[in-house]
Amino acid sequence: RIDKAPVVILHFDCMDLGTGGISFSKPGSSGQSPSVVDNQSEPPQINADVYDPVTEVEVTSTKSPIFNNIYPQNQWTMDSSGATTEVIYNWVDITQDFFKHIQDLKIGELLHDGHLFGLFEAMSAIEMMDPKMDAGMLCNRGNPKPLNFQQAVDAGKLKIDDLEPAELIGIIDATMACIVSWLEGHSLAQTVFTNLYLHQPHSIINKTLKAYCIAVYKLLDCIRDCINKAQVFEEEDFQPMGYGYRLGSNPQGGETYDASHKVSEQKCIAMLREQGEELIKKAKSTEEEDKDNLWIALAARIRFTRMYYQAILLITKKDSQSGADCVALLNGCSDMMKVIIRTSGKGTQPVENSDSPNPMGFEPMINQRLLPPTFPRYTRIKPRPEALQYFDEQVARLRHAWKITSCASFHTALDFFMEFSRQRACILSRSALQLLYLSPSPATTASMAQSAMNTPPGQPRPQHAFVEILRESVKNFVNPPALTPKSPMISTPQAREFVENFLARCVRPFAVLLQVCGHNRARQRDKLALLLDEFAALQEEAESVDAVVSGAAGTGPRACFGTWVLYHVLRIMIAYLLSGLELELYSVHEYHYIFWYLYEFLYGWLVSALGRAESLANDATRRDSRDSRKRKPKKRVRPYAREGLLCQVMQNLCGGYYKALVAFKLQGKIRQPGAEFDSEAVRYKHRFAPLAVLTPPQVHYHEFCEMTQPLQYENPVILYLGGCKHFQQARSLLETVTTPDQEIQDLLKVAKTNFIVLKLLAGGHKRDSTTPPEFDFSVHRHFPIIKLV
Amino acid sequence: MSTSTSHTEQTIDVKDVDDGKTKLRKWLNTNFRIEMTDGRVLIGVFLCTDRDANVILGACSEYLKGSEMDSEEPRVLGLVMVPGRHIVSIQIDDTTPPQKYYYDE
Repeated sequence: RIDKAPVVILHFDCMDLGTGGISFSKPGSSGQSPSVVDNQSEPPQINADVYDPVTEVEVTSTKSPIFNNIYPQNQWTMDSSGATTEVIYNWVDITQDFFKHIQDLKIGELLHDGHLFGLFEAMSAIEMMDPKMDAGMLCNRGNPKPLNFQQAVDAGKLKIDDLEPAELIGIIDATMACIVSWLEGHSLAQTVFTNLYLHQPHSIINKTLKAYCIAVYKLLDCIRDCINKAQVFEEEDFQPMGYGYRLGSNPQGGETYDASHKVSEQKCIAMLREQGEELIKKAKSTEEEDKDNLWIALAARIRFTRMYYQAILLITKKDSQSGADCVALLNGCSDMMKVIIRTSGKGTQPVENSDSPNPMGFEPMINQRLLPPTFPRYTRIKPRPEALQYFDEQVARLRHAWKITSCASFHTALDFFMEFSRQRACILSRSALQLLYLSPSPATTASMAQSAMNTPPGQPRPQHAFVEILRESVKNFVNPPALTPKSPMISTPQAREFVENFLARCVRPFAVLLQVCGHNRARQRDKLALLLDEFAALQEEAESVDAVVSGAAGTGPRACFGTWVLYHVLRIMIAYLLSGLELELYSVHEYHYIFWYLYEFLYGWLVSALGRAESLANDATRRDSRDSRKRKPKKRVRPYAREGLLCQVMQNLCGGYYKALVAFKLQGKIRQPGAEFDSEAVRYKHRFAPLAVLTPPQVHYHEFCEMTQPLQYENPVILYLGGCKHFQQARSLLETVTTPDQEIQDLLKVAKTNFIVLKLLAGGHKRDSTTPPEFDFSVHRHFPIIKLV
Repeated sequence: MSTSTSHTEQTIDVKDVDDGKTKLRKWLNTNFRIEMTDGRVLIGVFLCTDRDANVILGACSEYLKGSEMDSEEPRVLGLVMVPGRHIVSIQIDDTTPPQKYYYDE
């Protein structure tokens, strides 16, 4: 009897991840759900078109095509025979009685079946008629029912032949706007697939439009493939769900799967090329002298689509031969984009105050009923000019991302990744960068390394290119004797194996580090914290490798590998703390220990790690040159001079902030939390918790208190002057940089301004004011300009 | 004022040996068909209500206005709460007699 009891409210949202994307499923439906996914890549079974929502929307079937794998058993069936729509109801009106009876309830009293349903369950209900929760509300705002492709064609509202070039341009530009909206995190169903032409591209007679629509299918598939491979997206970045639209090789061609509609990549490109050429011919044959006539404008769009698709395809497939091609294609895209933006006014424009991105061909509500119940967010398609601008910038970002292929060492590559991330690039270019650096992607490399670690020790490990990259990185950084071929140490098999094992172990954490750099800025923080755990294990290993290698060589201990790992650990720690400033997680009254930690420890340690690396590397060079006397003495190269200098700059900035903040506190300028709600020790512990597992050991709160105790009795003026000195120091260090980039210039501005502000404060300016100073992060994301108000 | 009306109702109900609460309780776990102010129709299992007629329906499906039920594909919503002020009418399905489920000890 328990089985029959309707203990149902199954609000587990499970996800099925597969090649076809992601679909939601409920426990127990796992047997069914893969078929949805498979359906996109395999020839379907007889009934497979049930999953085809485009043509099935209007066809009566018992279940919603998309979600029949989702809520298979959530009918609260009263009998086990299963309540389907076949059930005959006998409705009896009880409105009057109901409203009368509820008056017997007290205010706030819930009438429910205490065994099965309680307040907890009630909390997860969707509230009807709430525009934020109720997607269905939009379906009947008095609008007529949206027409599907066939209905729209029959009604004469959708031209599939004899389209004017202006109409084609309008459709294409609107589709581009939809693609941009998708790439900004909206669902396909509410963006690109509101375009009715895409529902049955093979039924379109106009050849240009048909080729374009088929290409869009292929393009979407390729983009999704790229983003899925890189695995640097979160739900707020990107929605990979396909809603049953068959992306990829077989664009929808009617009600059933048709093998003849299969379009290969080559065929798709050839179709676009052919159309592009035809349009150019038409452009030449017209009387119009205007260099931007409609045919030229249309041809530019088709050519852009082709080259963009080809470029993304090359990036996703990562064909090492195709480097030059890809650059040429992206340059071509940029050129075409200029024409497209210039001629964007030539296409049909959306009707003012209309939700549809183009007068013809788009039906914003067409997929509304495919959406899950709590998927309301009505998607506003990005306005056309902004969308075209987005494409233009994206192509530029992709071109920039391509430069990663010429980053010789891991260090420069890592810097490149971090710099790229700072620019808050879009999801596609972030993904492309991942694929371009490591094939197939850092994410795959990491998981492969993980599984390789689990193979029994006897079996040979699969060698990965990334191991070589890391080996080079260590070699360049500290030049350990163990990695020098001539070194006597390499002859000890045990030492050699230790080194190889260590390098193999490095693969996963370092690949994940690259992957983390690809995530959006807000997500990086938590991921860095997780990564620190892995690096802690790596540090231990590095120490034992150093010990074994030094022992085998009979030399004194040389912490080569240890220094290399330490350097990266410190960088991650700093990035973690700084990201809290960027994400505005800290309160102003917390700033002082954040900056203190960075100033007293992390940057100092980083400077000394760089110094140690340099001396280790130089040791090795001297050792080498002793072997070959003839080589003229090398000029002392300081590869990390600039980095070391920047570290000192940052250290001074942090010191300046720290001293200023303490002085502010002493003068009562900073609002403190009420003592009864506050424990600085708890906050301190929480802020630095992820740093606890590593060497160098975390500096604990009591140490912080001890170390900063004397300052409590300091004269604020002395502190301001001390801060002033730090900013002055930072400034003069920055001015020694010969080729200042944007970052340096920004830092310089911050240092200069804060120097003046602290000088004023030291001079007694606004001494008695308790108005809190403002911290303005608009010039630099981590280092604010202090403003007195 | 409301207390007096509910009091009179209660006395009437007491004659029928049923107060409103008991009657409502009998309807729990039966199918309800609720029409909302925007014309949509919801069919689901009556699970919970309160004094303001906010009704929670389980395993709810949504049907669009005007369409005959078997011609229109329902949209599956799951668990929903319908605010009382948006309820136009409530109907109960009396084909399935109300069933009670208990947990066996």
